[in-house]
Amino acid sequence: MTATITANLPVFVVIAPLFVAFVLPTFARRMRLVESLVVAIEAIGLVGAGYLASIVLMQKGIPIIYSLGGWSAPWGIELEVGSLGAFFLLVVAAVSLPVALFARGNLTEEVGGKERVTRFYVLYLLLNGALAGMAVTNDLFNIFVLVEVATLSCCGLVSARNHPRAAEAAFTYLILATLGSALVLGGIGFLYIITGHLNMGFASQELGRIWQDYPHVVWMAASFMLVGFGVKSALFPLHVWLPDAHSTAPSPASAILSGLAVKGYLICLLKVLYIVFGHTLMQEFAMHRILVLLGMIAIIAGSLFALAQDELKRRLAFSTVAQVGYIILGLGLVNMKGLTGTLFYLASHAVIKSSLFLAAGAIIAATGKHRISELAGIGRKMPVTMAVFTVGSLGLVGIPLFSGFIGKWYLLLGSLDAGHILAAAVIIIGSVLCAAYLFPIIRVAYFEPVPEENWQDPGMPQKIALILLAVGVVILGVAPGPFLELASRAAIELLVIK
Amino acid sequence: MRILLEKLMINYPYFVAVILFTIGALTVLTRSNLFKKLIGINIMESAIFLMFIAGGNIRGGAVPILDEANPKPLYINPVPSALMLTGIVVSVSVTAFALALIVRLYQSYGTTDARRIAEMRNEVTEG
Repeated sequence: MTATITANLPVFVVIAPLFVAFVLPTFARRMRLVESLVVAIEAIGLVGAGYLASIVLMQKGIPIIYSLGGWSAPWGIELEVGSLGAFFLLVVAAVSLPVALFARGNLTEEVGGKERVTRFYVLYLLLNGALAGMAVTNDLFNIFVLVEVATLSCCGLVSARNHPRAAEAAFTYLILATLGSALVLGGIGFLYIITGHLNMGFASQELGRIWQDYPHVVWMAASFMLVGFGVKSALFPLHVWLPDAHSTAPSPASAILSGLAVKGYLICLLKVLYIVFGHTLMQEFAMHRILVLLGMIAIIAGSLFALAQDELKRRLAFSTVAQVGYIILGLGLVNMKGLTGTLFYLASHAVIKSSLFLAAGAIIAATGKHRISELAGIGRKMPVTMAVFTVGSLGLVGIPLFSGFIGKWYLLLGSLDAGHILAAAVIIIGSVLCAAYLFPIIRVAYFEPVPEENWQDPGMPQKIALILLAVGVVILGVAPGPFLELASRAAIELLVIK
Repeated sequence: MRILLEKLMINYPYFVAVILFTIGALTVLTRSNLFKKLIGINIMESAIFLMFIAGGNIRGGAVPILDEANPKPLYINPVPSALMLTGIVVSVSVTAFALALIVRLYQSYGTTDARRIAEMRNEVTEG
């Protein structure tokens, strides 16, 4: 029995949330049961992901391969849990559990109506399954399907609030994201037509042999993929949908969208670039230079836009645009330290940004105020929430002992190794700008006169969720051991492939 | 020039796909009517489907159903067609969801024009 479960774990972590998502509406009348089921399945997912990660760590780089339906590659679809897959699975599970716990609180008021809460959870679990799938899949067409599942559930989550602005933001997001998926599908089409394989490993081998015959097609495929995933992960000039979508969604949805969904598309981009094209081909076509350039622009522009916002959630949303820049920049460094830094930064930003969005959500739910200038003295009234917000801010800025620091440090070392002095400067300037748009919030919260209103910290489950995430930020910064090892192993595997 | 034209003649399905893709992308980006944007998305996706299926086609190839008694020399590749079946399903669900959102927007704003909706929203936030 245990052996069967262990052997099927890679597919189980993907199927389980999807299955529960479809069963959930049958219990729609019993709210408590629905909430407990969601938290339980997230907890099981976390245990499963942790177990897979420990196996991968023990096996020293030999990935767990699972052939769906018993058909081995290249005929069948292959799931592969290597260091990269286990790493991202762990991130997805570790972030979505606290967010699900947080959602138990005031979701009913936020989405308006009990029956809408169940629908919210259905979408939440679908997104979760799709993200887990992105972590483990080794098949190009699977990526497209999972990307579409994730996109549709993200749009659903954005429109979860019963408000015309939510519908508007969801529509803009849907149109642009579908444009992105059409481009991704086009890129997959080009690759399939010239290589004849959908399995990433086989496609990569074939591409390595024939790319000189089809340089234009390779160019087209790479640019379609970059723009497609760029739209979806809000790479700077293509980020226009993000601020509206992430700031109008209910708070748990904003947390999961900014923290995880964007990362899922970045992991897909990373897989396509490093596994299918391979780093030699990337350098041959100078893609790495484009990535570094785009990353630098995104860091500066996103931070400047964030500085200009007075609405709390919009500021956090623009900050996501800047942080995506760091990850894209790291993808372009093509060296050990840069890639390790990117992966670690991805994980740390997932934890930090979801803690920030949840804290912001708790503040908005308690006070009804959206603007930073109206939050004077909130730190005294809501000590736990604001403490978590402060920890998250320190982490995002990259103060030592918090998780953002390690990621930024490796990115800095990586860009110096790659000889990009300008990129190193931009990483530091980005940190300063990040402090410039986050610290004023903390100053307003703690050092302004305390208001008369009776604002309070949220209830117990939300407090636990917030504290769990804050502890995550600190643990990743103080004792990053296994995470850093998984990240650096994943980086080595990605760089060795060709 | 002649070689280019000949290449175009042989590969005309790809050429049509490029034209369709451009029409779709332009419609999405330049039209402010929400329905037209959605139609643009659908045209764009059809272009990609066409490209995939053209990639799997082999001129003179038979339908890929293996008949032991009387094997054909050439079969077309069935994989792209199967993939595009999934693609069409995805595209239909996106369309359905987008139409539902348009209905909701029409109920709250009384128009399906993206520009008017933006104007009305700005008036609400200012007033």
